[in-house]
Amino acid sequence: MRAVHYLNQFFAGLGGEEAADSSPTRLEGAAGPGRGLGIEIAMTLTCGDDFFGEHEDEALVTLLRWLTDEQPDVLVCGPSFGSGRYGYACGTLAREAARRGIPTVCAMHPESPGVFAAEGAAYIVPTGTNVASMRETLPKVAALATRLAAGEELGSPQEEGYLPRGLRRNEHAGASGATRAIQMLLGKLSGETRTEVTAAFDHVAPPPPAHDLRLETLALVTEAGCVPQGNPDGLPTIRARAWLRYPIGTASSMAAGAFECVHGGFDVTAANADPNRLVPLDVVSQLVREGRIGRLHESFYTTTGNGTPVATSTKFGQEIGLELKQAGVGAVLLSGT
Amino acid sequence: MFVTALPTIATMIGANRVVRGVAITNVFGDPSRSPASEVALRRKIVERALEMLETDVEPGAVWEVA
Repeated sequence: MRAVHYLNQFFAGLGGEEAADSSPTRLEGAAGPGRGLGIEIAMTLTCGDDFFGEHEDEALVTLLRWLTDEQPDVLVCGPSFGSGRYGYACGTLAREAARRGIPTVCAMHPESPGVFAAEGAAYIVPTGTNVASMRETLPKVAALATRLAAGEELGSPQEEGYLPRGLRRNEHAGASGATRAIQMLLGKLSGETRTEVTAAFDHVAPPPPAHDLRLETLALVTEAGCVPQGNPDGLPTIRARAWLRYPIGTASSMAAGAFECVHGGFDVTAANADPNRLVPLDVVSQLVREGRIGRLHESFYTTTGNGTPVATSTKFGQEIGLELKQAGVGAVLLSGT
Repeated sequence: MFVTALPTIATMIGANRVVRGVAITNVFGDPSRSPASEVALRRKIVERALEMLETDVEPGAVWEVA
C-alpha cells in the first residue's frame, strides 16, 4: 500500500504561524501525526496555510504534480480539526486528488470550510475542534485509508463514520417519518442528538447597490480581533462568544500601540505594527473628509473570527446588522481573514 | 461588503460583495512597501470596496484590486 500524507506547516514541523507562508514542500516518509497513523507513508506533502489560501492555484499545481508522479493508492489529509485555512487546504487538495483518481481521506470538524471545499469527493472523518481528539481520530483515518487503498467500496456514512458526501441513495427507512421524528425527539431529551438532514449555509441575495455613498453613513466591522490596547473587555483569541463595539471618537487612524489584534488564528505582527492594515480607519477618515463617504458611523465593531461556530457567527451578524440598520447606517465595510 | 484574502471561503458561505485583500496577515496593507506607498494601496482597496457597494452584483461576486 502506497500512501501520501498532507500536513500543514505546523504539523509537518516547519514552524508555527511564522511559517504559514511556506511554499509546498515534499518530505520523505512520515512526519508529525503521520507517524501515529500506523500505515506506511511513502511521502509527506506540506504547505503553509497562508500560502495555500493566497496562492491556491500555484500550490495545487506543485502538490498535484508530486502526487501524480507518486501515484499513491490513497491520500490522507490532516487531521485539521477546527482549523479554517488548514481545513480548506485539506478539502481542496482532497477534491483535486480524488478527481484525478486518488481516493482521499480527511479528518476535520464538520463546520470546517474544508468540508464544503471537498465537494463530496473525499471521505471526511468528523473530529472535535482541536488536537485533543487526535488520538481517537488517527485509527479511524488509518482504517478508512487502508480499505480505500485496497480498492474496497465503503458503506454509508452512518455505518463507516465519515461525513455525508451529498450523494443520494434511496433506501427503506423501516418506520414512518412521524415515528422517526418522535424517536429523534425522545433521543434528544435523553441527550443524544441525531439528524437525517444536515444543515447548509443559508444564502442571502445581494442587497441593491448603495445609491451614492457621498450621502450615506459607512460602518467599519472586523472579525480580525482588533481591540483597544490591553484588550479591556477580554475578547478571546478563539471561540469568541460575543462581539464588541468601541467608539471611534475623533480618531482619524488606528494608532499602533492604541490598538492591538488578539485573533489567535494568524500572525498578528503586521497588524499590531499598524492596525489600519485590518481596520482601514486612516483611509476611510480621509475619504470622509474629501466627501467621498457621507459619514463614518461613530463606533467600530469587532470580534475574533477564529473557531466560531456558524450558528454563533450568524447571530453576531444579525445583531450587529440590526443595530447598524437602526442607526441609519447605509453600508458596511467588513474586514477579515 | 467583505474585504478578505480568502474570497473563496467567503463566497462559499454566502458572502455577496467581496474584494480580495492583500494577505491574511494584513488585509489592507503591505509591510514591504514604504508607508506612503502602503497608504496609497490601502486607499485603492477601500475605493474598490466603495465602488462595489455602489454596483449591482451577482451573488458571490468577487472583485480584484487592479
